[in-house]
Parts: sequence; structure tokens; C-alpha cells
Amino acid sequence: MTQSLSPTRTPPEATPPRQGISEPPFLAADEETVHHTPYRKRHPVLPKPVTVNMTPMIDVVFQLLIYFMLTLNFVIGEGVLTAKLPTGPGQPNPQSKPPERPLNITLRSSGAVGCIIGIEGMATQSANFRELSQKLAELQYNPELGRQGAYKPDNPVVIKPDSTTRWQHVVNAFNAAIKARYLNVSFAQASEPGSETPGDQ
Amino acid sequence: MSQVFKKGPISAEINMTPMIDVVFQLLIFFMLVNNISNEEGAPMIVPELEDPKTLEFGDRNRVVINIEPMAFSENRKIGDINIPGQASSLKIGIERYALDDMDGVTKSLQQAKARNDKVEVLLRADAGLFYDEVQPVMQAIANAGIVKVNLVAYLPEDVR
Repeated sequence: MTQSLSPTRTPPEATPPRQGISEPPFLAADEETVHHTPYRKRHPVLPKPVTVNMTPMIDVVFQLLIYFMLTLNFVIGEGVLTAKLPTGPGQPNPQSKPPERPLNITLRSSGAVGCIIGIEGMATQSANFRELSQKLAELQYNPELGRQGAYKPDNPVVIKPDSTTRWQHVVNAFNAAIKARYLNVSFAQASEPGSETPGDQ
Repeated sequence: MSQVFKKGPISAEINMTPMIDVVFQLLIFFMLVNNISNEEGAPMIVPELEDPKTLEFGDRNRVVINIEPMAFSENRKIGDINIPGQASSLKIGIERYALDDMDGVTKSLQQAKARNDKVEVLLRADAGLFYDEVQPVMQAIANAGIVKVNLVAYLPEDVR
């Protein structure tokens, strides 16, 4: 009976209670006798605005953002050694002072990847670049560090690799000279591989 | 009374739209910058030094010259220089140059120097390259009137 009189209503037992708006229980019981506008008409349920759930998207976008920010770093783990370049072919930087005798480091390739490290004018070779650095330090004149060699720190040091010396050895030799506190280190043009004394330009 | 309750409770949602806009802009920015810096950091193994004195470098006024080696295997380790010593390509920033186009390199660096006097050149060459592949590039840099070049190598272990 109740259902036929109010066709707009579905039986309360058939629908699960709506969330948010709860039906006043007294209305359901004696609806036929109470003459007033139904609850539904007084409080029309407005259609819910359709919204897209943004939360997962924002999560993903933030993840991407963080990823790109972190991977932005140029190349991780790399650094630089600042070198002066010879302005002329094979020449140390021109200076107004009378030219000093450059300290020449010769690098000769041996085998596929090897390298023979020498200092021009010295008979013995260095086994590795730590030893080269040590020798260069011994050759330096630097009273502050107690070094009694013949070469001042600003004396030109020229690295003379042959053409097939690997770049790694060249940079290593440069690093050794920097480590020995030389200030004016430059690179010569490539000499022919295997030549005993790398050719001067 | 009716005015107050007509529209139901005030919704307490935060308007996400401007934030999403900003975040998307940032995302696009970082993606693009990332792409460019990937181009600058071409895949190679730079020299691994004995007791390195390398320093970290800043981002500003930087021009990166990449001298890339021939393709190498993915298993190549840092310090392994047993590769063919010939270069395969030469790039300044994201621009590619022929390996024998040293005049082009000089010209490009002269322009870079004219635009920005404080320009710093980073020379990034693979550890296994022959010296005569790198030396002409250094010569070209010197010819452009740039007296300082930054040689890229790995940082000391404790800084990395």
C-alpha cells in the first residue's frame, strides 16, 4: 500500500541506507497519514559534481618530477683538471721573462695499452704516475715545502706523448705534475710512436 | 536559515588545478634539460687517475667538448683503456662536428667566447683514445684564444 501511494519512493528495506543523508525513521512508518511535502522534495538531492580523482595522477607526476630532478646532475663522479694550453704549436705559454728550460715528460706507448714514462734528461723511467709525481716533486725548487730541486714551480712542464699514447696516460701525467705543485703544465704535439726522444717542434 | 543550509555543507576540497599546472611545467622543464645534459654527457669512460686532483665544476659558462670513442661493450669497466684508439665523433655541446673539421671547432669556440667572455671549455675525451685524436682538438681550442681547458676525469673516490 505504501509503495503504490508513493511511487517515487523505493522501499526503504530494498535500498541500503544512503551515505550522508540518513532517512528520518518516522517518515517511513506513517507516510500516508502525514500530509506534508515529502522529505525528498524539501531537500532535493543535488546531482554530485563529476570529478576526476586526481590523486593517483599527482602521485605519478611527483615521482616523475623527482626522478628527473635527481638524474639531472651532469655526469656523476666526473671532475676536471684545469690545464693551460700552449698558444703556439708545442710551445709553453709565452712569457716576458727569458724562457726557462722546460721540464719535459715523455710518454711512449708500449703494447696495446701500456706506457713508458720518462723525464727528459733522466735515465731512469718511472713505473707509475705516483712515482713520476714523486720524481717531479724532487726536481722542484720550493723552499716552503723543503724541496731543493732545480725547477721552480712556475717552470714550464711539457708533456710529450707519442701519437698512440692513450689519453688516460696523458691526463695521468698531467695530474702527476699538478700534484707535484707545478703551475705551468702544457701539452706538446704528438710525436711519432716509438721514437726514442720525442721530436721537438 | 534556509539560505545557510540550501547548498549543504561547504566542500572542504583543496583546488589541485594550479598545483598540477605548476608540477607539469616543472616536469617538462626537467625532462628537456635532462635530455640536453644527456647529449652533453656522451657515454664514455673518462680517465681514471692515480691519486686524482680533479675538482668538481660548476654549471655556469660551460661548453663541453666530447670526443667519443668507437662503440665499446657494455661490460667495459672504469680504467679499461683497451679499445680501438680512434675517435668516432666530436661534439661541442649538442652540435656534431667532423673529426677533421678543426676550423669549425675553432670558429664555434670563438663565437662562444664572443657571447660569453667567461666561457669554460670542458674537454671530455675517452680514456682509451690515442693522444693524436685529442691533441688537434686542444690545438683548436688554443687557436680560438682560450688558454685554459678543463680536462674531465673521474673524481677521487671519496668525493664521488
